[in-house]
Amino acid sequence: MGGIGRTTRLSLPGLAAYGLPLVSFVVGVVLWQLLVALFRIPAYLFPSPSAIIQGFFAGRIDWVQQTSITLNEAVTGALIGIVVGFAIAVVITLSATLRQILMPYIVALQVLPKVAIAPIIYILLGFSNTSRVLLIVILTFFPIVINVSTGLTDVDRNLIYLLQSLRASRATIFFKVRLPNSLPYFFDGLKIAVSGALVGAIVAEFVSSNSGLGFLILNSQYTFNTVAAFGAFAILTVLGLLLYAAVIVLARQLMPWYRSG
Amino acid sequence: MPAVVVLENVSKHYTTVKGHEVQAVRNVSLSVQPGETVAIVGPSGCGKSTLLRLIAGVEGPSGGSIRRETAGGHFIVGYVFQDSSLMRWRTVYDNIKLPLEVVKKRDLGNVDRLIDLIGMKGFERSYPIELSGGMQRRVSIARAFVHEPSIVLMDEPFTGVDELTKEALQHELGNLIRTLHVTALLVTHDIEEAVFLSDRIFVMSPRPGAIVEEVPVNLPSARDPSVRSSLEFFAAASKVRAKLLELHAMRVDAAT
Repeated sequence: MGGIGRTTRLSLPGLAAYGLPLVSFVVGVVLWQLLVALFRIPAYLFPSPSAIIQGFFAGRIDWVQQTSITLNEAVTGALIGIVVGFAIAVVITLSATLRQILMPYIVALQVLPKVAIAPIIYILLGFSNTSRVLLIVILTFFPIVINVSTGLTDVDRNLIYLLQSLRASRATIFFKVRLPNSLPYFFDGLKIAVSGALVGAIVAEFVSSNSGLGFLILNSQYTFNTVAAFGAFAILTVLGLLLYAAVIVLARQLMPWYRSG
Repeated sequence: MPAVVVLENVSKHYTTVKGHEVQAVRNVSLSVQPGETVAIVGPSGCGKSTLLRLIAGVEGPSGGSIRRETAGGHFIVGYVFQDSSLMRWRTVYDNIKLPLEVVKKRDLGNVDRLIDLIGMKGFERSYPIELSGGMQRRVSIARAFVHEPSIVLMDEPFTGVDELTKEALQHELGNLIRTLHVTALLVTHDIEEAVFLSDRIFVMSPRPGAIVEEVPVNLPSARDPSVRSSLEFFAAASKVRAKLLELHAMRVDAAT
């Protein structure tokens, strides 16, 4: 059955599905280049693609170092957020009392636009790496909590009956039914979390930092170095794509039994 | 030999979210003898599934008593559900193995034996998503038999399967029940399915479900699809249908 799916994907309509977006992207970049040249827009206002590429390789900025700083914060924060989120999801699923106690705080934190609290985190924890990572943790843990707790709860009732009829303990039901059932939900949460992690890293660097891509963008504003800012945008776009793709690859590896959509 | 399970005046009511009392099952008395297949036929929502959960011990009755025969060790059930309810993250082999894991049986020989019996050799490593609806039903049936349960409870096992596949599956299930000498309780709204598979049929009234008639099925225990056109088959099916129609008419009268 998989064979049919694979061959149709490689056929003409399949190629068109990937080809058209690619053509659209290339045409967009070419138009951008032409319009900037036609209207003689100065690079500090809106740089052309070629100017961005030139600026990128001019060697004034150590892109690898700046990127690794931002990526390091994002990944550290995301990992902590994922672990904390998963733990909270398990706790509120297993204990109705703890769910009721924790829920108002979790909901309040979710409704609040979390980047708003960024400046205050620095008052609490100082202008340190810890503060930056904490903001990312707050941004990433919530989608994990919500998705995993849904996955742990939204279980086929019959499977619970089946295990109960076999006198299975709550722990057995948790490990054999609830936990594996939550995996697809977890990966959906992870997709949201990784993009949240980048947002968190950039905002954290806007508020306080002297390095990283967020700092670079803010610094570009002061120095009218728009070309550098666009270079950072390009890197962030690629980073976002790579992180998202990594989640999808990991999901396919760990869940060969799952097909979304 | 003592009955595998005996229900005496069993009732069950629930309290709904709005606080209303709903009676699902009313004064049900029945017993299932070792090696026989008993069917309960009734309209949708008459409390048939509730009855199975009570026998499985997943829920407790509000009134009456349920006696389970435990002479040969533990009373343990096999369960077949309406929509297979397989674990999608487990392969065919691991889905069938599940009950053995839970009751901590080391000997996994039955898994291979059942895969063979349901004709799924070569599909051991397939996931449910890769199987047809009929194959998924077969796996869920194998899962219910693998741990040699005291009784197999089947809750409308072939709902939503096309007619021809359904008849083939019913034939296979009948053979499996005979080969493995299983005691079974089948709940269904499909009259032909009840007649084809069982030795006795209980007819249940609409909610609150009560047993209103017992119909014996006078067919040989070994059955192939040709019995469907026999006189005895027709007689039993007609008797069940007449009782269900009578119940339906009473309900319509009461409503108007």
